[in-house]
Amino acid sequence: MTKTILTVDDSRTMRDMLHLALTEAGFRVVQAVDGLDGLEALDAAQADVIITDINMPRLDGFGFIEGVRKNDRHRATPILVLTTESDTTKKQRARDAGATGWIVKPFNPEKLIDAIRRVAA
Amino acid sequence: MDPLAAIKVTFFQECEEQLAELEGGLLAMEGGDHDPEIVNAVFRAVHSIKGGAGAFSLEALVRFSHVFETALDLIRGGDIQADQETLKLLLRSADVLADHVRAARDGGVVDEGRSSAMAEALEALASGMGGGGEADTGDGFDDFVFNPVSIDMSDAPAPADDSVAALLASITGGDADGGAGEADAPASDDAPSQTWHVRFYPQVGLYQKANEAGLLLRELGRLGEVAVRLDASGLPLLQNMNPEDAYLGWSADLTGPGIEESAIREVFEWVEGDCYLDIVREGAAPPVAQASGVDAVGDVDVMALIRAAQAAEVPAAAAAAPTAPARASAEAKATAEPAKAKEAALDAKAQAAAREASPQTIRVDLERVDRLIDLVGELVINQAMLTQRVAECGLQRASSVAMGLDDLEQLTREIQDSVMAIRAQPVKSVFQRFPRLVREIAAMTGKEVRLIMDGEGTEVDKTVIERLSDPLTHMIRNAIDHGLETPEEREAAGKPREGVVRLAALHRSGRIVIEISDDGRGINRPRVKQIAVDKGLISPEANLSDDEIDNLIFMAGFSTAATVSDISGRGVGMDVVRRSIQSLGGRINISSRPGQGSTFTLSLPLTLAVLDGMVVTVAGQTLVAPLTAIIESLQPKACDVRNLGPNAQVIAIRDTHVPLIDIGRSLGYRTVTPPPTEGVALLVEGEGGSRAALMVDAIQGQRQVVIKSLEANYRPVPGIAAATILGDGRVALILDIDAVMVPKPHEGGGAIAAPANGGLDTVGAPTSLAKVG
Repeated sequence: MTKTILTVDDSRTMRDMLHLALTEAGFRVVQAVDGLDGLEALDAAQADVIITDINMPRLDGFGFIEGVRKNDRHRATPILVLTTESDTTKKQRARDAGATGWIVKPFNPEKLIDAIRRVAA
Repeated sequence: MDPLAAIKVTFFQECEEQLAELEGGLLAMEGGDHDPEIVNAVFRAVHSIKGGAGAFSLEALVRFSHVFETALDLIRGGDIQADQETLKLLLRSADVLADHVRAARDGGVVDEGRSSAMAEALEALASGMGGGGEADTGDGFDDFVFNPVSIDMSDAPAPADDSVAALLASITGGDADGGAGEADAPASDDAPSQTWHVRFYPQVGLYQKANEAGLLLRELGRLGEVAVRLDASGLPLLQNMNPEDAYLGWSADLTGPGIEESAIREVFEWVEGDCYLDIVREGAAPPVAQASGVDAVGDVDVMALIRAAQAAEVPAAAAAAPTAPARASAEAKATAEPAKAKEAALDAKAQAAAREASPQTIRVDLERVDRLIDLVGELVINQAMLTQRVAECGLQRASSVAMGLDDLEQLTREIQDSVMAIRAQPVKSVFQRFPRLVREIAAMTGKEVRLIMDGEGTEVDKTVIERLSDPLTHMIRNAIDHGLETPEEREAAGKPREGVVRLAALHRSGRIVIEISDDGRGINRPRVKQIAVDKGLISPEANLSDDEIDNLIFMAGFSTAATVSDISGRGVGMDVVRRSIQSLGGRINISSRPGQGSTFTLSLPLTLAVLDGMVVTVAGQTLVAPLTAIIESLQPKACDVRNLGPNAQVIAIRDTHVPLIDIGRSLGYRTVTPPPTEGVALLVEGEGGSRAALMVDAIQGQRQVVIKSLEANYRPVPGIAAATILGDGRVALILDIDAVMVPKPHEGGGAIAAPANGGLDTVGAPTSLAKVG
């Protein structure tokens, strides 16, 4: 069955890039533009995996992850965080919020698919 | 377009938006706004640019944005105070960042000296912060290593195969179906094979973060041949079991050539701290046994358990992977038919939400819009013709045909307005270039300047916007270079050191008005007048009002700068500015108060395609006078008209006299002027603010007309700006008010009109409005 990935990122460039890489790899993609939008899209998207940015307006990635984990239907949905190599404190904060893993930016499609495979059967 | 190239285009568009956001935020901070959300937005802007730049391997851009981001992050965290000095540095850095973006986009080069100087200043700012900064954010420019990652979509592997067979294959080493693990295993046939003993005991946090033990073990299987044993000794009795807790552990023997410990650690990277992990190379000393009791490893069929967990068939599986049931039920729902429809609907909602957050736009070829505007113009003309024909047929106003035509007229007007609105854009796209311009001129002249902008959302036709950039740039340069005093002079005059230049746009009676004002020294009238006399532009005896003197600066060949400066010199004067505004059908005016500053006021039509006109009759011809130029119309009385010679007349309107010009004679329709009392005089105002009364025979009425270029369809005609087609299908000429106002040399005329109109050069160039249609 085609898996659905919810991508949450305020950058159109990053959204497009994720969309391209993910659809080429055969995933269905639902996009959200920030944390609040992501939480709203959650039920509709029925995502198998969520990929989220950290720095976003309105609601950042940490708040978004906490929100997902509070939602009974989605607390077991794997969440991957897009971060840069140097963001060690951010990684830790994201994990504390309930993130499953992370994708280091800039990513290539292979790394991306690899990361998804590590959290979704 | 190749999808990646398309994304790159998006990236650069987004960069422009981020740069505008960045600059706007920094300016707000400079203005004293301490809203933390602004700092966040500023940081995000640079962060986003860096992110995208990284994806496209734009190294220079990544490097500079990284340094910039680091400094902004410290400000965001409160480690650096954003004082005025710092904000100036940040604004200049934003300019350099913009240069980098454009260089990356257009393949140009960045002023390397300026860029590295700015990067150094930012680093100094970041490293100069108090409290011995540490951590990840403090990493400097020099330490930053950029690893370009090329994106090659063709290399994208197939999505993870979720079949149990694949799972099995990968866990057992990947020889079942040709080796699922072959691509990723860092194996080299030459390296000696070795075995690692891995013990892995997940804690509850691992499952809470939605990680799964089974998947991690599968990952381990990609490194080499793996044999996994389950340790279920920690499993309590069913009645004591908390389905959310973690009770199981695994030990795995991993065998393969060239397996590094780091590769194994990487598999468990995401669950570090949420599990007990022990990695020992075979032959090395055994580790101290942990509390969990490793000896109790039993012979449970791990594969069966994992399979069970995937399918959520066995209740006991909940312990192994407590997350499985929830997900399985979600999947079951998703496959149900009605759920699919709902999913689609909700998906649409999610996309709608996404759209709401970013402005909803479509991009359309400008040619198509122009074609549409052209057609609507034809429609307007056609509708007017139809109305007239129906009226000629003698149909009653109340007849159904006439009433239907009224509706058609209403609709046509609405369509026209809507179509015009398509081309309308906020002036922001021009205004946003000016903060940088002001900073640069301020730096060059050593003046301190604050730019205040107002009404950036005011909309006007795209063509108008595009042609506003140059004149506005020139006027802002002038305002700073000539208008504002040096900080020292200002202090001496009791003014704040920092001068203010204000740029404001607003809609006023169907036109857009743009004001450029400064609080500088104002126009030096004695000097302006002297220059005009010296250059022979006016006679020494001319008795001019203050306003008229101020408007002398619009005359061709006038330049007040004692030395032609680098900034506003270049041999271009205000006359060029005035002409470019005029060519847009606009007017420009100046008002000035000595010691307090000057204000330039531009008034422009919202569109170049239609015109509100007064339809008049002159010598049997139908002409259109632009309504915007007309102040009033009146019936001259014989006692108000005076002759100043055989061919010149003036008319007294209230307490002033203005030249009385017969349009019929100016345009060569007749040689003898009929008595003014038999016609109508239109009091008009020219671009320079000078007035005249234009004699016409009769007024037919006001009408919106579609402008058709005479230049493009025929040839330029002095005194005529353009043409239009009237309701009866006849062509009517649109007057070029300024051109007809200028008296012909042999006719003499007032000393006032000539300078205020910038000499005779407009006569030969009735360019107003003629470029469109």
